[in-house]
Amino acid sequence: MQVTLTMKPRAKPFLPIEAEMINPMNFIGSQNLFVWEGNKKRRLEDIFTVRKEGNVNSPENIVVVLRGDTSRVKRVGEYMSSGTIIVEGDIGMHCGNFMRGGFIEIQGNADGWLGREMRGGSILCHGNAGDYCGSGYRGEKRGMRGGKIEVAGNAGDYLGEYLTGGEIHVHGNAGMFAGAEMRGGCLIIDGDARIPAANMAKGTCIIHGEIHEMLPTFEKIGEKDGMLVYHGDVANKGKGELIVKSKIT
Amino acid sequence: MFHIEDKVRHIVCPYCGCLCDDILVELTDGRISGVENACTLGAHKFLDDADNRLKGPIMRKGDQWVDISYEEAIAYAVQTLSEADRPLLYGWSGCVTETQAIGAHLAELIGGVVDSTTSVCHGPSILAIQEVGHPGCTLGQVKNRADTIIYWGSNPIEAHPRHLSRYTNYADAYFLHNAFRERKVIVFDVRKTATSEIASEFVQLEQGGDYHVLSALRAIVRGREDVVPDMVAGVPKSQLIRVAEMCKKAKFGALFFGVGVTMTGGKYKNIRNAIEFVDELNRHTKWTISPMRGHSNVYGSNEVFTWITGYPYAVDYARGIAFYNPGETTAVDILARKEADAALIMASDPGAHFPRTCCEHLAKIPTILFDPYPSATTHLCTVQIPCAVNGIDAAGTAYRMDGIPIRTRKFLETGYPTDTSLMHEIYEQIRERKEHV
Repeated sequence: MQVTLTMKPRAKPFLPIEAEMINPMNFIGSQNLFVWEGNKKRRLEDIFTVRKEGNVNSPENIVVVLRGDTSRVKRVGEYMSSGTIIVEGDIGMHCGNFMRGGFIEIQGNADGWLGREMRGGSILCHGNAGDYCGSGYRGEKRGMRGGKIEVAGNAGDYLGEYLTGGEIHVHGNAGMFAGAEMRGGCLIIDGDARIPAANMAKGTCIIHGEIHEMLPTFEKIGEKDGMLVYHGDVANKGKGELIVKSKIT
Repeated sequence: MFHIEDKVRHIVCPYCGCLCDDILVELTDGRISGVENACTLGAHKFLDDADNRLKGPIMRKGDQWVDISYEEAIAYAVQTLSEADRPLLYGWSGCVTETQAIGAHLAELIGGVVDSTTSVCHGPSILAIQEVGHPGCTLGQVKNRADTIIYWGSNPIEAHPRHLSRYTNYADAYFLHNAFRERKVIVFDVRKTATSEIASEFVQLEQGGDYHVLSALRAIVRGREDVVPDMVAGVPKSQLIRVAEMCKKAKFGALFFGVGVTMTGGKYKNIRNAIEFVDELNRHTKWTISPMRGHSNVYGSNEVFTWITGYPYAVDYARGIAFYNPGETTAVDILARKEADAALIMASDPGAHFPRTCCEHLAKIPTILFDPYPSATTHLCTVQIPCAVNGIDAAGTAYRMDGIPIRTRKFLETGYPTDTSLMHEIYEQIRERKEHV
């Protein structure tokens, strides 16, 4: 079954919409779904034009398509465990929070906290991702624990903060403090990064581009496939692995 | 001509987070004519008060200001706030805790966001404390025990002028024989400042190099100086080793950090690293760390919001329950994304401190400002309501930068209503209105 949600024009287009019920599983049956626009509770149909096509047999076969200006729609696919969500434009914050399975494809850009604390499944973002992609919530000791996030564009600051498991692959550049406090998992950045892997404890961070302002507390171990291998962060007895291209500025 | 002169002792200065409580104010004919003991900043808070206040509430009509009554101003606030879809209640650090408490309850009532100036000063410090804790102490402990003091990214001689004389370098200490001779001051800053002039050791680091220097210091204290390169963010390794030794030899150390560390790149990561540096030093000797809070009662806003909502600032009540996520629910972010459709600004001046896009948005939406004096935000707001000044003609509780509550004193009668009474009136009217709907 395909569910197409098209944004209706809004009087105040900048108001955030919290829509954690946009989760493929919730479109089985005909229950009433509600979203929050600012401090007002609205029916899903007040915000989106909902069109359902085909029959449902299981949540894995449900494809939810989001159309229109969805850049202010937050928490899409929260706790999602199966099915597919395709966002044709940009998506707001917290997309794929705590996701356990299924697939989210974002054809535009994603705002902050993409795949926050996700446990499984995969997210593909064709545009840029905002800050805190694959990280944890404030004060949380573990960020993303499993699954895969692939970002074709650039990622913002604090990419994969507290990354504990799973893989994040950014094809473009990352902002400041990528892989800060990493505790496991694998972070691959094809472009440049600034102050990466700060205070890392475990895990692997691979940077193919240039590193700006590399931290002084990484111990050079050797070379592997033309890349330099560092261990750290020595400041906290970390046993992480930072693999970088030889050029460091 | 006959003048009535009076001197009032033990006044609490409502300017900065030091909350000096030994101010003497001279009054001549019911006007402040002199201030003793206060620093220049504090003295001018008192001396510049007279003749600078707004006479009464004003409202923008077209391109003119119109005088309105307090009742009209409250009615406008009640209507605007209760009809808004995403009201923002910002400021709170210049007013008393009693007003802040009403602010937090009002946010819950109207489904708004309540944020204090913390989000643009020491918010990152709180994020770091939430990650790794806070090995802190009161300023009394520092005064009586500390023999090594670090000022990192802060310039107290110009920003908190009496901090050194009341609590650190120039203060007498109960447990030190000759405090001034025994105390060492280490200053970390990106440029020479008035405070670096009096330091026994000045570490000049490159802009944005705080995290690197802290990481290097942690590695050195842990005995891993072998990995540290010869220069770290413009600081020679030999100096870092010397400073680390000084820190380890201290009997009691106190690290104070200012917005020079919290508001540079990396923000809360810098503070986290500083806390972990202090943590590492505590394996050798006693060290504490404290933020140099700016506004008189900004610490109070964190205390009040925490005991009412569970979170220290940036609390979003849009869905009826408290949600906190700095970066998403902080005032600057909400205004920059043009989310807010009404704003109440209490006792602060975002017009002077916020990014331009935020100010532009504040000017577009109905903005109600509570401030006794005309400020940069006056030019952005729709209504300005003057109220009594905390510590001059209003009394209440304020929290010092180390979390000690101090009762401010009222020593003048001016006839202005207090912000507590005005906010209480607004809260009650909105509550009645909601009950009738």
